[in-house]
Amino acid sequence: MSSRAIIVLSWKNVWRNPVRSGIVILSVVVATWSGIFMVGFFNGMTVQFVRDQLQNYTSHIQIHDTRYVDESLPEFTIREADQIINSLQAFDFVTQVTPRTVINGLISSANNNYGVTIEGVRPDLEVQTTAIHSYLIEGEYLTGSLRNPVFIGSDLAQKLAVQLRSRIVLTFQDKQGNITAGAFRIEGIFKTPNKAFNEGNILVRADDLNRLLGDEQAVHEIIVMVDDYMKSEDYALQIQSVLSNEVVVRSWKDLSPMLKYIESSMDISMYLVMVILIIALCFGVINTMLMAVLERTAELGMLRAVGLNKFKSFTMIMLETTFLTMIGSPLGLLLGWSFNAWYGEKGIDLAFFSKGLELYGFNSMIYPELGLTYYLDITLLMLLATVFSAIFPALKALKLNPVEAIRKH
Amino acid sequence: MAIIDIKNITKVYNSDQIPVHALNGIDLQIEAGEFTAIVGPSGSGKTTLLNILGGLDDPTSGNININGVDLFSLNQKQLTEYRLHHIGFVFQSYNLIPVLTARENIEFILQIQGKDAKHFRQRSLELLEAVGLVDKADKMPSELSGGQQQRVAVARALASNPDFVLADEPTANLDSASTSNLLDIMATMNSELGITFIFSTHDQRVVERATRIVTLVDGKIFSDENR
Ligand SMILES: Nc1ncnc2c1ncn2[C@@H]1O[C@H](COP(=O)(O)OP(=O)(O)OP(=O)(O)O)[C@@H](O)[C@H]1O
Ligand SMILES: [Mg+2]
Repeated sequence: MSSRAIIVLSWKNVWRNPVRSGIVILSVVVATWSGIFMVGFFNGMTVQFVRDQLQNYTSHIQIHDTRYVDESLPEFTIREADQIINSLQAFDFVTQVTPRTVINGLISSANNNYGVTIEGVRPDLEVQTTAIHSYLIEGEYLTGSLRNPVFIGSDLAQKLAVQLRSRIVLTFQDKQGNITAGAFRIEGIFKTPNKAFNEGNILVRADDLNRLLGDEQAVHEIIVMVDDYMKSEDYALQIQSVLSNEVVVRSWKDLSPMLKYIESSMDISMYLVMVILIIALCFGVINTMLMAVLERTAELGMLRAVGLNKFKSFTMIMLETTFLTMIGSPLGLLLGWSFNAWYGEKGIDLAFFSKGLELYGFNSMIYPELGLTYYLDITLLMLLATVFSAIFPALKALKLNPVEAIRKH
Repeated sequence: MAIIDIKNITKVYNSDQIPVHALNGIDLQIEAGEFTAIVGPSGSGKTTLLNILGGLDDPTSGNININGVDLFSLNQKQLTEYRLHHIGFVFQSYNLIPVLTARENIEFILQIQGKDAKHFRQRSLELLEAVGLVDKADKMPSELSGGQQQRVAVARALASNPDFVLADEPTANLDSASTSNLLDIMATMNSELGITFIFSTHDQRVVERATRIVTLVDGKIFSDENR
């Protein structure tokens, strides 16, 4: 009975100064909402970036010969690659697999030479696995309507001063360590958001490359895509466990420390943003509630005098603060969530800044997204913040001396 | 039999460099059913005495026995509990919680006493009836006049069936009509229900209503007369 009375009184006290309480509630709403949206935005941007990077360039998991990892020479091919590819089918989480021949060589046009990574791919499998083909801007993707087709980046084409159907020559070491060269024709030109990739990587058919290499079955790299890229590390271990240690299975986190870093630092910065916002909010709430307590010194003194004990007066003020944040934070959470859901669907077009973003490989459309665990964590943070900001005003009320409180008025 | 037995109470305030002797050895017995006015010049120690009597403040020395309970043997928590159940308070102002109606203000005391909820409403209405404000039961304090607010405060003070009611200048903020109205109510409760009142005042007209007048001067009892 008595606790109910305290709860009711606290609730009524919240509305004693509706404008002030309204402002506090509004700021809780806005802070939670904008915090969640901001975090969702940057998370979406990062997740998208990481996903794109993986889909376009790094892939989820790669398998190489152990020796190739130390020194990527053409002769270090994967032994019994077919068998390995077959054994990968046993894993439910594997969604796509494609073998590649990967060689470092020289590309020459009539005008220029550049060092490039030559990726010999199986076009039928490659299009199902990675996304380079989707960045085609001219011509076609390794259909084979030309003899020895090559798919090159726009930036490289420009530097070489070549166009569609231009002839280029690829020079590299064959399996025996002899220099070999082959003439290829540009069948397609791609332009991914990553300039370095556009300049340094070209795609040819594995069959064409292998013929020149002197090993029809050569495979240097097996690309594996899985159902959940966040689990790649664990999946890589599972795959490794069924393969011999002549091959090395690595997830994207091993392959690209940069992406791993981006991915992990995102978490920290997201929480940092939320914590800073919440701390600012706490100060606002504490300040308001301290004012509310100070204004009511005489009344609180009277209540203590007539027999409201310390615990109950403490609880009453704690509850008042809690109500303020408890009204605001679910509303803010809901708004933040709906904004993330809405724009996660529609996307936010940053075309205006896209020149700058593209330089770093970011897409100009951002789709905010935020996992459920973040919402739970943010809710938890808000609860902690509520208790934290409720304590000071309540302690203030506790310290007040009833005799002085009454005498002052 | 005395319900309150005050023995040799002194109170020294040391807040400034010079100690202030607010009470200098007060001995006083209050009988059940008395209607006592504490009077005296400003600074004579009336408020200090009432605060100590109400367990709100500690004396520097001496003790107070209420119905066999040594008040200052109780710890803070027990004192608060004691006030809640045994003493009614009426202050000069800020008696009511502004966000609760007159009735709710009375019920609040019953609620925090943790009593059975069933009769709260009936009891609070009875009390409001007794102070002539049953029609104002659902009014907020801000909708009541100063005199009406003090009457609600008296009703609230009686809600817990206290052993006695302490009122420090309950009429200080009231006009003469409201003052005599409040005094009528208090006197009626004293004579008909036997409620013990101890109140301080500066107002000669209020003093005249008392059945016992204790006059303080410089923290000492100067005179103590029954009428
Ligand atoms: N907290 C305090 N610190 C220091 N001195 C105090 C304190 N409270 C009261 N005094 C002093 O104690 C003396 C008695 O004060 P008290 O308030 O009891 O007088 P009073 O009779 O109620 O006066 P009034 O008629 O003006 O209300 C005064 O000299 C006063 O200044
Ligand atoms: Mg006084």
